[in-house]
Amino acid sequence: MLIDGLLIGGLIIVVGIGFSLCFGVMHIVDFAVGEWVMLGAYTGYIMVRYFGYDPMIYLPIIFLIFCGVGWMIYPLIYRAVSGKRHNPVIMGLVFTFGLSILAKGGALSVWGYHIQSITTWLSGKSISIGVLTIPALRFAGFVFGILVTILFMIFLYKTKFGIIIRATAQDRDTANLLGADVRKIGGLVYSLYAGVTGMSGVLIGTLFSIHAAMGAKYCTLAFFVVVLAGMGYVPGVIIAALVLGLLQSFVGVYIGGRYTLVALFMVMYGVLLITPKGILRRGI
Amino acid sequence: MILQSNDLVKSFGGVTAINHLSLTVEKGTVLGIIGPNGSGKTTFFNLVNGVYTPDSGRVTFEGKNITGLHPHRIAELGIGRTFQIPAPFTKMTVLENVMVSTFIRASSLKESRKMAWEILELVRLDDKGNTQVANVTLEDRKRLELARALGTKPSLLLLDEVMAGLTPSEVKAAIELIRSLRTRELTLIVVEHIMDVILSLCDRIAVLDYGQKIAEDIPDQIVNNKEVIRAYLGERYSARH
Amino acid sequence: MELQASKAQAVPVPSVWRFTPLGLLLVICLILPWLASPLWIRIATEVLMWAGLAQSWNIIGGYTGYLCFGHGAFFGLGSYVTGLMMVKLGWPFGIGLLFSGILASLLAVIIGYPTLRLRGAYFAIATWAFGEMVRQIATILDVTGGAFGLQLPSFLNLRYFYYVMLAVTGLTYLTTHFLLERARFGYKLLAIREHEEAAEMVGVDTVSIKMKAFALSAFFPGVLGGIYAYWVTYIHPDSVLGAQLTDFMVVMAFLGGIGSLWGPFLGAVVVQLLQRILWLFWGEGTFYLVIIGVAICAVVLFIPNGLIGLMESRFLSPREAVSQLRKTFKW
Repeated sequence: MLIDGLLIGGLIIVVGIGFSLCFGVMHIVDFAVGEWVMLGAYTGYIMVRYFGYDPMIYLPIIFLIFCGVGWMIYPLIYRAVSGKRHNPVIMGLVFTFGLSILAKGGALSVWGYHIQSITTWLSGKSISIGVLTIPALRFAGFVFGILVTILFMIFLYKTKFGIIIRATAQDRDTANLLGADVRKIGGLVYSLYAGVTGMSGVLIGTLFSIHAAMGAKYCTLAFFVVVLAGMGYVPGVIIAALVLGLLQSFVGVYIGGRYTLVALFMVMYGVLLITPKGILRRGI
Repeated sequence: MILQSNDLVKSFGGVTAINHLSLTVEKGTVLGIIGPNGSGKTTFFNLVNGVYTPDSGRVTFEGKNITGLHPHRIAELGIGRTFQIPAPFTKMTVLENVMVSTFIRASSLKESRKMAWEILELVRLDDKGNTQVANVTLEDRKRLELARALGTKPSLLLLDEVMAGLTPSEVKAAIELIRSLRTRELTLIVVEHIMDVILSLCDRIAVLDYGQKIAEDIPDQIVNNKEVIRAYLGERYSARH
Repeated sequence: MELQASKAQAVPVPSVWRFTPLGLLLVICLILPWLASPLWIRIATEVLMWAGLAQSWNIIGGYTGYLCFGHGAFFGLGSYVTGLMMVKLGWPFGIGLLFSGILASLLAVIIGYPTLRLRGAYFAIATWAFGEMVRQIATILDVTGGAFGLQLPSFLNLRYFYYVMLAVTGLTYLTTHFLLERARFGYKLLAIREHEEAAEMVGVDTVSIKMKAFALSAFFPGVLGGIYAYWVTYIHPDSVLGAQLTDFMVVMAFLGGIGSLWGPFLGAVVVQLLQRILWLFWGEGTFYLVIIGVAICAVVLFIPNGLIGLMESRFLSPREAVSQLRKTFKW
């Protein structure tokens, strides 16, 4: 049960990192984060249905597709957030909120309320590691999460671009003065975020069910992770996601599956009230 | 003695912004506060104003201990303050901005309106009363900032770098305006960077550096004070002079 | 937002003709149930309900600038409380409604105390979490019928519900008009929205004012929820506590124009109309959500002041519109 929780957490990290970065760099709370996951899952589903092969193969393609979509949408978000006349955080929030309704409505209209899922060659298989037998797919999801996290970390901390992004996140105006094109950076970050989140959607689709309204669940999880970690503080996301996974498993086993969401909400709520900057107090 | 700060200490994270600061201001006078960037001038205002609560120390106003009170309560008690970068209520008109600040003194909306117009006349913004703030120049926003602070009918007014960003002629006009305020039984504390302004307006000047008061005296003495020169211009300059 | 320059001058003698559109609206609203078919009465009742809900949200979201994404919880609370009070305790309808409203306000105070301290984005998330939590709790508890919902006896006729809805929504608008548009309370809310720190500094007790606004904004949904419960006779956590409730409130307020008196009403009418028209042509479905989503995005991008704002400022000429689009996508 413990392992299970950790494994799930690993996958959620991906969603959390992108979301956290999104807020950190552009001060945008993307209400549509769950919808990116949902769209990624559905895209994977479509590809498998029409082209065959294993969904895992499509991961890089989906990444690129979603990066592209993110890149195209970003100018609109930027525009919504830059109006001089209004509170940018509110406008960004409402805009992404609109996007999420759009995505959800579109998905519902096209695929209805049916529940789908995708299978891969890993589905149903197990891996033995030492004395433990774990479902291979969950393990793969975990590995995926860790891989993406490592790549992200390397990107943020070791590359030139990464440094620029972190600088912009910490102090936008100064970064601007130092020559960073804040707008392009925002676009880059948003595309990466969309791409990565879409990718994770595929994996989530193999592990859990796919349906048009699944966005809300992953939005909740993303909020939870990021609130615990502190908005914009990426390393905290890892811990927070693992906590999430553990909490879910724990509540599911000892208290009852119906209570998982309530427990999640209460914890998130409590954290927001007591330490709004995240448990480690490193958020923005 | 209208305001007294006793041994104020305020830290943020690892940085001590205000380091055992004690200041006294006499009623009806103008105290200037100068100091290099980061010396804690705005932080001091924030402590007096209630925006921050000091880690230790006390602030006394007209005999009352106001340490740690909410800013709106302190405004009620009679301390007004302007922001360094004007922060008007953007979706309202100039008049409405000032009206809001009169709410604690007026008993009705009508009276608020009347009081607000009077203040606008005083700061010479009455021709722009019905203009949306968004359409108003920086200089006018600074006047509005002042007008809004006056709306609370303060006995002590904290002016935070009012001159920043103004052209020389605008500065002249601002000095005139502030001078005219003196006749209204107002005590002023002025933070400024432009030495001419400080020297011409203030009765006494306090100099801050790294959150501490390094000098407090009449203007003529301050300009010749070695510590002050060293703080502003560095060790080597003062060593040479 | 809608404090126009004219308000700053001395209030002019109102010309009688200014009230004509309002008067006409009032007359239409009053006699509608006697002229329209049951279908239209139902539609009108629903529009009225949404108009009231959107305006309530407007009080805390539009005027004060604190976007509450869990506002539906107050509506659901009202539904369940009224239903339970009447079924389990035998209370009369009116008392049940009043009690629901007061309870909703109380809940708002309890929730508001910690959450109103949070800044914009955090407040949105916290209230969103709160809303979802309430829904989950209702699904779990047995007294509320759990996931199966609550069945309520039907006892009043269509017309009666229409008038009750009209009365409560009307009260919402009257309250907004007198407390927000024409009073110091409204100015203070706007000041908080525009620059909370500065408002504090000129003597506005922001903590207390925010709480009052939040409590006020929760009262009406509580009452409306109670009316709704008996109108549809069957309530369920997903129907009265779902996120889509808050979604709609937010959309309507934004589309019509936040921070204005008639914005939410306009928004409610437009959205409901849109929904019905789309249902007519595409069958009952979810496509209207797509349109709504596009609408919100368009509002935020081009008319952040909503439709009301559009009516007050001049329209963009085609050339201006194109250059705006170009500017958005230019790199």
